[in-house]
Amino acid sequence: MSDLVVECRRVTRVYGDDGVAVRALQGVDFRVAKGEWAALAGPSGSGKSTLLHLVGGLDRPTDGTVVVDGEQLNDLSESQLSDLRLRKVGFVFQAYNLVPVLSAVENVEFIMQLQGVEPAQRRERALSVLDQLGLSDIGERRPGELSGGQQQRVAVARAIVTEPVLLLADEPSANLDSATTLELLALLRAINEERGVTIVTATHDPIVMGHASRRVLLRDGRIESDEVMSSPAWHA
Amino acid sequence: MKLTLLVQLSWRNLWRHRRRTVILLTTICVAVGSVLVLNALLRGMQMSMVETAIDNLNGHFKVLAPGYLDDPGITKSFELEPSGIPGLSAEGIRGWAPRVRVPAVIRSERETRGVQFVGIVPGSEDISFLGDVDVDGEYLSGPDDRRILLGHALAEQLETGVGRRVVLITQGADGGNRESGYRVAGVYDAVGTGIEKAFVFTGLATVQDLLSVDAVTEVSVRLTEEARGPSVLGDLTNTFDGLDVRTWQDLEPQAAMMHEMADATVSIWFLIVMGALIFGLVNTLVTAVMERIRELGMLRAIGMRRGAVIAQVVIESMITMVIGISTGVVLGLLGFAWLAEGIDLSAFAEGLELTGLRPELVPQLWAQDVFLVVVLSLVLGFLASIYPAHRAVRVQPLDAMRR
Repeated sequence: MSDLVVECRRVTRVYGDDGVAVRALQGVDFRVAKGEWAALAGPSGSGKSTLLHLVGGLDRPTDGTVVVDGEQLNDLSESQLSDLRLRKVGFVFQAYNLVPVLSAVENVEFIMQLQGVEPAQRRERALSVLDQLGLSDIGERRPGELSGGQQQRVAVARAIVTEPVLLLADEPSANLDSATTLELLALLRAINEERGVTIVTATHDPIVMGHASRRVLLRDGRIESDEVMSSPAWHA
Repeated sequence: MKLTLLVQLSWRNLWRHRRRTVILLTTICVAVGSVLVLNALLRGMQMSMVETAIDNLNGHFKVLAPGYLDDPGITKSFELEPSGIPGLSAEGIRGWAPRVRVPAVIRSERETRGVQFVGIVPGSEDISFLGDVDVDGEYLSGPDDRRILLGHALAEQLETGVGRRVVLITQGADGGNRESGYRVAGVYDAVGTGIEKAFVFTGLATVQDLLSVDAVTEVSVRLTEEARGPSVLGDLTNTFDGLDVRTWQDLEPQAAMMHEMADATVSIWFLIVMGALIFGLVNTLVTAVMERIRELGMLRAIGMRRGAVIAQVVIESMITMVIGISTGVVLGLLGFAWLAEGIDLSAFAEGLELTGLRPELVPQLWAQDVFLVVVLSLVLGFLASIYPAHRAVRVQPLDAMRR
């Protein structure tokens, strides 16, 4: 199973204390192979975001183990988790979460600055990624001057510029209209297919689910179904 | 993580809310500037009091016969070597002046007053206020001059003046009265009327002749620099073994106390102003952090370490302080330059005389005070950032992004 990027074994996550404990995940087994695009779907409170956060090292399981690219996250310290997120995981958030005081290109560069990439190299890579995503003309604008769709594309550029092994997207289309959502999904598809980046998204959006190569449906903290899409939307 | 990135982020964050930042910077600027100006005024007052205390015939040190301060008179005197003060190195000493000072009664044809009759070597008195005193008439020509100098206020009381004769009566070493008539060579204007009323000057040899002694009652020593004080004090104590060597602080305890109070006042004022300011800074930083909780959570989520989050807040605080302090120092220097010519306080001259202050207050801005204000402000700025930084780093990435 050396091509597994994500491996969750019997993962349980309980929030709160004994009195008002909420079992967000209950003994979930979840694996994602390299190059897959898995969409975690399910109603609110089903545990999809919790699973996404555990896979991204943003949260720790109450029980069970999470392995990302061969590293067992349970054993990592807070700073080691930070390093893992920085070097192996790209995040795309529902609310874009760009740094408002930085321009688009600086936002993309920022993560490379955290990694210590040399200035000339990071500027070149940032501009190249923005160009590939069709954003070269808005590089100097700050997030406040961009549309929602543009901001989310910049967020995607920031997430992939470091060539992470895993791209996690939490409700990436929640704030976008249908046309922009389709543009974003086309972009993610290209990243998945052309760059071979493994993607896991948590979503309510059937359009997003339709574009994933695999749909994992969660309900009440358990995986209800896990199906490989024989013909994702873009193949149709 | 590169410091330049943190500085860049902090700098831009600082200007997110321009008005708030400008208000905060203005507050720091005014606080630092006002502390420096007040500091300069207090230093000016402090030095004015010290100069007055030293000028008023004390010097930095004074050698006296034991018991003279309790019972001043010619019986408490001592003899000087003709060569001066052997064993006292010239380094750090501006000069020294031997004197005979005895209580006396001065009588004009109209009035009688009690005074201090002081025999001086006029050429040596550049270490006291006599060195640059304004004299109506003539200054004394030498230690053998048999004329006297009167203070302006005393001359008015005695209803006498330049060229007129007065009689001085004092007590000799044998306990008998000594009396002699003197012509008034000049009338001097001192800083305070207290001095003018108290001291009558003549040549040292003149008083010694009157009292039939070769002795002096005091030797004042003035330094060029305070730092030489301890070594000169040691030399004087060795040279005048068995005599009393007193500092100006011993002789003018009130001035010494006010001198120390000025130091404390500077510190207290600084702490009050900067203390109030720091609360404002903490409040602003906490507000800025709370406004950016989501963003800080996101930064943590994508891999920014806790240390970098803390450093970002601390750097933001330090940038604020550096800008505020720099402009504050410039404001303080401008204020100092504006007041550098001195402030005329002659309208309060009577009250000032009691505190030993001169009627013109000349502010003094010391480099060490500026340095201290700058360093302490930076330290306070750093301390002020600790709590907001703690708040910033305490929030977990997930919690922050859920908000």
